[in-house]
Amino acid sequence: MTGKTIVITSGKGGVGKTTATANIGTGLAMRGHKVVVVDTDIGLRNLDVIMGLENRIVYDLVNVIEGTCKLNQAMIGDKHDYELFLIPAAQTRDKNSIEPEQLREMCAELEKEFDYVLIDCPAGIEQGFKNATAAAQEAIIVTTPEVSAIRDADRVIGLLESSGLHRPRLIINRIAPDMVKRGDMMDQKDVESLLAVEVIGLVPADEHTVVAANRGVPVVHNSKSSAGGAFLRIAARVDGEDIPLMDLEPKTGLFSKFKGMVGMNGRAYSHA
Amino acid sequence: MVATDVVQVVARGADVAFVIDEDAPFNVVTTELKEYLASQSGLWSKGDITLNVGQRMLARGELAQIKSIIETTSGLTVTRFWFAPESLDNGVLQVEAKPPKSAKPDASAVHSRPSHNEIVIPEPAPEATAAPASAVESIIESLKSRHNKNGARNRNITEALFIKSTFRSGESLHHHGDVVVLADVNPGAEIRADGDIVVVGSLKGWVHAGASGDNKAVIVALDIPASKFQIAKYEGGPPTSARRRSNSLASGPKIAYVRSRSIHVAPFAGRFARYSKGVPYDG
Repeated sequence: MTGKTIVITSGKGGVGKTTATANIGTGLAMRGHKVVVVDTDIGLRNLDVIMGLENRIVYDLVNVIEGTCKLNQAMIGDKHDYELFLIPAAQTRDKNSIEPEQLREMCAELEKEFDYVLIDCPAGIEQGFKNATAAAQEAIIVTTPEVSAIRDADRVIGLLESSGLHRPRLIINRIAPDMVKRGDMMDQKDVESLLAVEVIGLVPADEHTVVAANRGVPVVHNSKSSAGGAFLRIAARVDGEDIPLMDLEPKTGLFSKFKGMVGMNGRAYSHA
Repeated sequence: MVATDVVQVVARGADVAFVIDEDAPFNVVTTELKEYLASQSGLWSKGDITLNVGQRMLARGELAQIKSIIETTSGLTVTRFWFAPESLDNGVLQVEAKPPKSAKPDASAVHSRPSHNEIVIPEPAPEATAAPASAVESIIESLKSRHNKNGARNRNITEALFIKSTFRSGESLHHHGDVVVLADVNPGAEIRADGDIVVVGSLKGWVHAGASGDNKAVIVALDIPASKFQIAKYEGGPPTSARRRSNSLASGPKIAYVRSRSIHVAPFAGRFARYSKGVPYDG
């Protein structure tokens, strides 16, 4: 088996890299693939918490790289009935405890056994970023529709391209459709024209995502969640399926439809 | 990083410049250069360097002599020459070196920028030609004629650096000629060119045309939304006062140029058109 290593990165912190990694990983596993997610945020590990596996950690990434345990000893199986594994980061070490080349070797080893190796990259563009990106054949950039996140994404795309990771794909996370509609938030087109890369997914801001993170169950498990649905579609696109991007519509209940009919909604007035 | 009185080393981002004292007699320059390179032989193990000559020409053969000193003493290869009359003070000879990736501790300044941001600008390489001395002279001749302002043919047909993808935040380059970008220049990116800068896209980063002091350099872009830029020593940007801003230009291709000591921007109508409707862009 020859799998694929994909790094999930952003430059800026707090835009949803770890959430995206957990959900795309779970999504791919739900599609029947054998998946391993690797947390490279050494010293600030989070992926285990998001996946609800923090109590099962015995060995970590640094143990594997230093040879104190075998690769499969550090792999923690997901709670659900999928072929999904986590290699957690070490919490008591720092980014300099591993070298890009070592991670590359480890991922090459994992690719023999898994369909997808997803690397959760730390924020920033320093050693941790270099470690995480060295092993990957593809990259997914996560951004939010905010100028600072987009600036950092632009920088990261430039760095990835110059290190040979061409054509990274973009997830625009935490879109608030009603704000976009009011013109208060950048839409997909604005972000695309700034960053000039392919968009692989639009994820709406969704309270379910926060709840899911707190419970340690990735939001893709929640069929009612709009963000969960978006991540499932992203997983399908990563898997090579051609699914068109969905327009994110503000929630329209019966009442707002009624207001729209009688010309009472905000949009009608804003054009007056 | 001062090395000797005559040879000084100045780090500029990823590039390192050897600045050689302009008043020193030529034989002192050669001795000092030899000594300096020998003392740093571990640092300059391999790599291509640009020989950057100031306004005052060295006598025939002297440049070739310096080239051979550098190559034999350090293992560096002089692959590029630069001759730019306005760019340097009289008589200063500079050697710009792009050190090898393996450059060591002392060169911490060399690593002040991530190495993958380096953009190597190929210049005509004289290596292919047999005799080094004549190669050096022919390159200098060709560069001299390229910079000859009176020769219209040479001024209007230039070898530009052509960038075909978005120039992104954190990327920066300095080119001793014209630059064309077939995409956007994003905020946080920097381009310095001794000649003109043409952006077939939106100019949102910081650019400096005529960086060696050429007032006649222009910046052309499909749109200049709000960025600051520079032509020669003049700084430009969208007007800051509300009144001025109100009569600034609609979006569309624009040209920025220097007129009566300030930068003006006008709708683009050709490189050498007579622009009279430009608005001051000195914000």
